[in-house]
Amino acid sequence: MSTGAEFGERARRWSRRPETRGIFLLWTALTVALVAFAFVPSRIMGPPASSTMRAVEETMTVFSIAAAPVAAIVWAISLYSLLKWRHRGAGPPPEDGPAIRSNGPVTTLWLVISSVLCALLLIWGLAEMEAVGDPASSAAAPLVVDVTGQQWVWTFSYPQDGNVESDQLYLPKNRLVVFNVTSEDVIHSFWIVQMGVKVDANPGETTNIRVVPDKLGVFDIRCAELCGLLHADMETSAHVVTSGDFASWVTAQGGHG
Amino acid sequence: MSEAVVQHGAVAHPTGGGAMQRLHLGTAVLTGVVCAAIAWYLSHHILHDDTPVVSDQVTTITMAGWAIGFMAGIGAFRGPWRWMLGKDQTHEDETFYAGKDQGVGRYFRFTTDHKVVGIQYLVVTMVMLGIGGTLAMMIRTDLVTPQSGFLGPQTYNAVVGLHGLIMIIATIIMVTGPFGNFIVPIMIGARDMAFPRLNALSLWLIVAALPVFVSAAFLGGIPTGWSGYAPLSDQAPPGMDAFLMFIIIFAISTAVAGANITTTILTMRARGMTWNRTPIFVWGTMASVGLAIPAFPMFMSAMVLLGLDRTTGAQFFVASGGGNGWLYANLFWIMGHPEVYVIVIPAIAALMELTPVFTRKPLFNYNAAVLALVGIVGLSIMVWAHHMYASGWAPDLNGPFMLTTELISIPTGLLFLVVVGTIWRGRVWTTLPMMSTYAMLWNFIIGGITGIYLSDVPADYALHGSMFVTAHFHYTLMGAGLTGAIGALAFWFPKMTGRMLDHRAGLISFWLVQIGFNVTFFGMFAVGLAGQPRRVQHYSSLFATGNLVSTMGAYAIGIGMLVLLYAIVSSWRHGAIAPANPWGSKTLEWTVPNPIPLENFEVLPVVVADPYGYGEGDPSSLPTKQAHEAVLRVGAGSPGHGNDADGESS
Repeated sequence: MSTGAEFGERARRWSRRPETRGIFLLWTALTVALVAFAFVPSRIMGPPASSTMRAVEETMTVFSIAAAPVAAIVWAISLYSLLKWRHRGAGPPPEDGPAIRSNGPVTTLWLVISSVLCALLLIWGLAEMEAVGDPASSAAAPLVVDVTGQQWVWTFSYPQDGNVESDQLYLPKNRLVVFNVTSEDVIHSFWIVQMGVKVDANPGETTNIRVVPDKLGVFDIRCAELCGLLHADMETSAHVVTSGDFASWVTAQGGHG
Repeated sequence: MSEAVVQHGAVAHPTGGGAMQRLHLGTAVLTGVVCAAIAWYLSHHILHDDTPVVSDQVTTITMAGWAIGFMAGIGAFRGPWRWMLGKDQTHEDETFYAGKDQGVGRYFRFTTDHKVVGIQYLVVTMVMLGIGGTLAMMIRTDLVTPQSGFLGPQTYNAVVGLHGLIMIIATIIMVTGPFGNFIVPIMIGARDMAFPRLNALSLWLIVAALPVFVSAAFLGGIPTGWSGYAPLSDQAPPGMDAFLMFIIIFAISTAVAGANITTTILTMRARGMTWNRTPIFVWGTMASVGLAIPAFPMFMSAMVLLGLDRTTGAQFFVASGGGNGWLYANLFWIMGHPEVYVIVIPAIAALMELTPVFTRKPLFNYNAAVLALVGIVGLSIMVWAHHMYASGWAPDLNGPFMLTTELISIPTGLLFLVVVGTIWRGRVWTTLPMMSTYAMLWNFIIGGITGIYLSDVPADYALHGSMFVTAHFHYTLMGAGLTGAIGALAFWFPKMTGRMLDHRAGLISFWLVQIGFNVTFFGMFAVGLAGQPRRVQHYSSLFATGNLVSTMGAYAIGIGMLVLLYAIVSSWRHGAIAPANPWGSKTLEWTVPNPIPLENFEVLPVVVADPYGYGEGDPSSLPTKQAHEAVLRVGAGSPGHGNDADGESS
């Protein structure tokens, strides 16, 4: 056991070693680059159309930032070693490297950091699952939509509105929607891309998923499970409209609100 | 290739083997075709034509006829048959089986020499990768523009399924097949595998299965993707019967090979090769095949149930008949997730084996490396339902499966520490094998981090079934797995062929493949994030740029793989003659001469240290020249060294 002063002296010497400085510089540069890159995935995913999608994009960014220093240290050490101690030639290097069999403190530190990161990911994920599973909404009663997949179309039915049927999905903004999803033939997967919700449509079973659309516009519904010949064509649109427009759409379809 | 001649006094004409002398690949194909024709004729005439499943019945029976006929024609049943008659093999029979004095012909026979089987596996793997790669080029060509129409939807779906299936099988065998068979027995100081005939059996079962796979292309393809999800696979054309026969035959082969390799490693390690002196690649091979032993029967049982659905209308997976598709999905993924580690573990273990050689340093934290492999194997059988977060099967289990999945990042992280710790301050000798280690560090970090996004349940809801998933698992299976296998091939090529692999062509191939790979799958990540589903034949113009980039990258991979093929073939034929230990490695396989004699070691070695003693003053662990005296205690009369081992030295 070294005293505080000795430890401080050792740390100072360690920090002055050229390897330490070189790797620290590389690590910092790579981390900064990767943290900047961490904001790219959510940009590619586009503007979210629900709180669920907002949570998913946040997750992508946070996980990317958390992963940045880890990826950077792996690359920094291996890159530094390559630049500094590279052997070029047709035969084996004339002399061996240092016989470092293991390093207890480093291994412990590595395990502690990876366990802590793992725990953080898990806690983050569980909290996020909770929020996404039951999203908050201002409207009183949820809207129920029965979704049926069949090769290769989607049908949407509104049981609270006289079973109005449509092959386009219409949803009022800011109201919780509960989708009850099933299939008539094979497994499909009901996916509203910009809302970040997806659940399989299984024959003989009903699955459900909830979302609160919070952005007006037209969004993409695609099938995310290979379902046969025209799987690629099994897509339609989700129209998020104001509650007034939704009521008039229902009426126009012959339903009652 | 006349290495068989030198040992034990040459025999001019083989005397043993009996009927085996007349059996080879040609007779196998002949009897296979004859048996298939008989099975087809009989089933066609006996079965009732009025049932809707009759074509599936005929297809299945015909393929079973082919496989049985092929195995009979290669001589796979002769051993058990003679054993049942009470006539055991004579020594001459065994020598014939081992391929002694048969020249190139032994590669086309039911040969038991593990080195022959290893080369056969290598060639079969390359054929499979060639088929799968060609199919991948077709897929990427179809996707070059949003509506290219290069393949129709039917052909496209068939090609996607064929590509996935052949690539999965090829990657499963690509390390443990060639190197697990050729290298591992020599590496542990054994004369052959524990069960040489089972070794030949496992190889020839895969060869028998290949035409079954190819026939799927002519029977309507595999329009379900390689996952074969039911009930879509219940309504698929007879190509699906070929799919399930292929899997069933392969599962038998895997069980046989797994039992053989684990037994060999457990019981035949050289004297003194204690568990903590066993090379990490041997651990990795055992972890991989040991994991496959419980995993593949699940796939096989799913295929048997699917076969019953298709040929007898059993409806295990059909909801209207009381079945359930989630049963299939569970069986499939209970195999499917261990399976990715079956692929990746031996590839990374090979890179961990060669990294100390090219950095001239001991493997950093050997114990942690072993523990990490064990940890990954243990956890990997408890994560399968993370493929089913969005299936609706058991939403309440999503949390627990997220836990087990994210826990895998801890042992996986340890593997990175082992590799990086070995590279640190090493004399990095930038050969093709070492470059593969670097490529793995880049690709597998990306594959691992994108896997963490997918382990998160809400993020998976958004990304499941999209191109993002496709890109992610290509980063693991190809970026780490195939890269590791190529590194392993470059590393062991001199020992397996006696010649050096062309370095220049290897370099060109490396950069084409690695840059092409990253371009391809970065484009695919982008279109996946933007919302492009997997396995679609055309797509919205939103995704045009990303797909164009992917296709260009894919062509670069294709060209790079052709260059690698050229490098392998030309070096194998007339490359520079390799010295016995060109890399200065300390593992046992480099102590045997080129060409390697039949049964490898004249006198079995005694191991006194682990093979990672680089930079250590102890003369007992110096490499190359001294290795023959130090690592190998030549001669049986040195019982003082390392006799505490649990190895066996016949």
